[in-house]
Amino acid sequence: MSKPYTLQELLIISVAKEIHDYENVILGVGLPTTAGALAKALYAPHATLMMESGIIDFQPLVPLNHIADAHSCRGFSYATDLFSAFTMTYRGFVDVCFLGVGQIDKFGNLNTTCIGDYDKPAMRLPGSGGAADFISYAKRTVLTMLGGQFVEKLDYLTSPGYLDGGDSRDRSGLFPKGSGPSMLLTTQGIFRFDPVTKEIYLAQIHPKVKLDDVKKNVPWDLKIAGDLSETPHPTDAEIDFIRNFAPNMAIGRELMLELTVANLMKKMKK
Amino acid sequence: MDPSNGKVMTAKEAVSRFVHAGDALVIGNYTVGSCAELVYEVIRQRKKGLTLYSQSGIFDVEVLVGAGLVDKLVTTYVLRAGGRKGGSAVERALQAGTLQMEDYTNFDYNARMVAGMHGMTFIPVLEGVMATDLFRKRGFMGDDKFRVIDCPYTGKKILTVPAANPDVCIVHVQRADKFGNAQYWGALGSVAAAALASNRIIVSCEEIVEHDIIQSSPHLTIIPAYRVSAVVEVPWGAHPTEVLGYYNIDSAMYGLFMMADSTADGLKAWMDEWVFGCDNRAAYLERYIGKFGMKALDAIRAKPYYSAQANYGAAVTSRWDRDGREIFTGLTLPEMEAILKERGKFYE
Repeated sequence: MSKPYTLQELLIISVAKEIHDYENVILGVGLPTTAGALAKALYAPHATLMMESGIIDFQPLVPLNHIADAHSCRGFSYATDLFSAFTMTYRGFVDVCFLGVGQIDKFGNLNTTCIGDYDKPAMRLPGSGGAADFISYAKRTVLTMLGGQFVEKLDYLTSPGYLDGGDSRDRSGLFPKGSGPSMLLTTQGIFRFDPVTKEIYLAQIHPKVKLDDVKKNVPWDLKIAGDLSETPHPTDAEIDFIRNFAPNMAIGRELMLELTVANLMKKMKK
Repeated sequence: MDPSNGKVMTAKEAVSRFVHAGDALVIGNYTVGSCAELVYEVIRQRKKGLTLYSQSGIFDVEVLVGAGLVDKLVTTYVLRAGGRKGGSAVERALQAGTLQMEDYTNFDYNARMVAGMHGMTFIPVLEGVMATDLFRKRGFMGDDKFRVIDCPYTGKKILTVPAANPDVCIVHVQRADKFGNAQYWGALGSVAAAALASNRIIVSCEEIVEHDIIQSSPHLTIIPAYRVSAVVEVPWGAHPTEVLGYYNIDSAMYGLFMMADSTADGLKAWMDEWVFGCDNRAAYLERYIGKFGMKALDAIRAKPYYSAQANYGAAVTSRWDRDGREIFTGLTLPEMEAILKERGKFYE
């Protein structure tokens, strides 16, 4: 058995496994960039990591602050602009992209704009950023939802998933055939999409999570994979990489903040 | 597995694998630093029936047309050797009825590549051309050379050209790494757009450099590795044209070509010697040095004038300081792990 790990580490590793060698990958900030760094170090040394700011083919050395963080690496291979980063996605050169989720519906359509009424929102979220265009044209999209929710109807459709399910995304004629979300990661499990109905289902469940707890968060009768398995235990190499590269991600945001503040206070007393 | 994806190869192999008879072929370079060796290799391998795109038809277009490989030409400029008394391969092919051609302005031609590069199906261009025969006279593209639409915002008449996505681009640059990241500087012209619009890209370069060099100067990269099919290292690969930082134009050699190009027989004799007579660029250089001496090459070799370095550095390259303490919390890894255990954050 390998060494003990945190939930955050498990989440990062699960996402990293969605990156395959030689793929072109658009990374979003936070968990995906750490996953990208892990994948490039351990599973996909020839993957080309890219960000929409036009930083192409970089190897992050420290966790990124945002999607234009050239301070996170020592140089990169190609400096282009945002416009071209999107048009190269449009032309089909991006294999996989990563997006965060505020609300998601049964068919993987996403809301990252607002909770409640658009004009008088209960909560105003970031908006589209790159999301709507990337999920439209990347061959696959990997979704991460850490604080969001499953809903019957989105308060605002920011980014197109499988629309009304079935072949409706392909039939719309707006997207490359076969594109769309390929997986959703939450703190409870890994979800995938039925190849025919395109309805989301639970494919893997994280350790210490009960099936009923997962179902409780989904307002419809959630489908469960016949071969539902537990998310596999990370290897030592995976855990070591994350702790070394992104200790802040390994220990989680709240504890990180607490320990950082404690350290500041200690320094001030001196 | 070869980390370069096996992209490094000879001009012979690259052209044989990635240029096919009947292709739409674009010469990526514009006016300077033409991919001479790749052009000559296309000729040596007799890749026929080409639709040739060139922003600046210079000697490169002349030799391809002169060799009878081009059925259709899209360009903005036709080289004419020897003034009024002279001639050109393009002119002779038009007279013989063996070549069809479309004339565009520089802007229109470049716009077609930009549209292709960005995945657009057409692009608005500058409408003044509508008053000219560039607009009225249509060649093999017919109605699709230009089309006019109404601007949905202002109602104004908008002139458009269709995107170009050539099958293959041949292009010469200063340097590249073995993965295919291609760096080019100097007159940017339409080089990047021509390459990026194309479905396959063959890069020839003066030298293949370590990846570190590329990584510390990404602003010079015009083609990213993942778009490139082949990387060919060819010193003097653009001779007799010039490559900034490597050599100047060889005016004497270019003059010889121009004299030859003014007649069909002259061009044929010149190509027999310098294209068909040399298996590759090394053989070409050997012949050149044998005929004109090393001094002729030394005279056009560039003297260094380096650009200022750009600092790509950051404050830290690790979240851990020299004492092994995490930079924000001041904790060592064992201390951090002890806290995680104590707080019940660990999954055993």
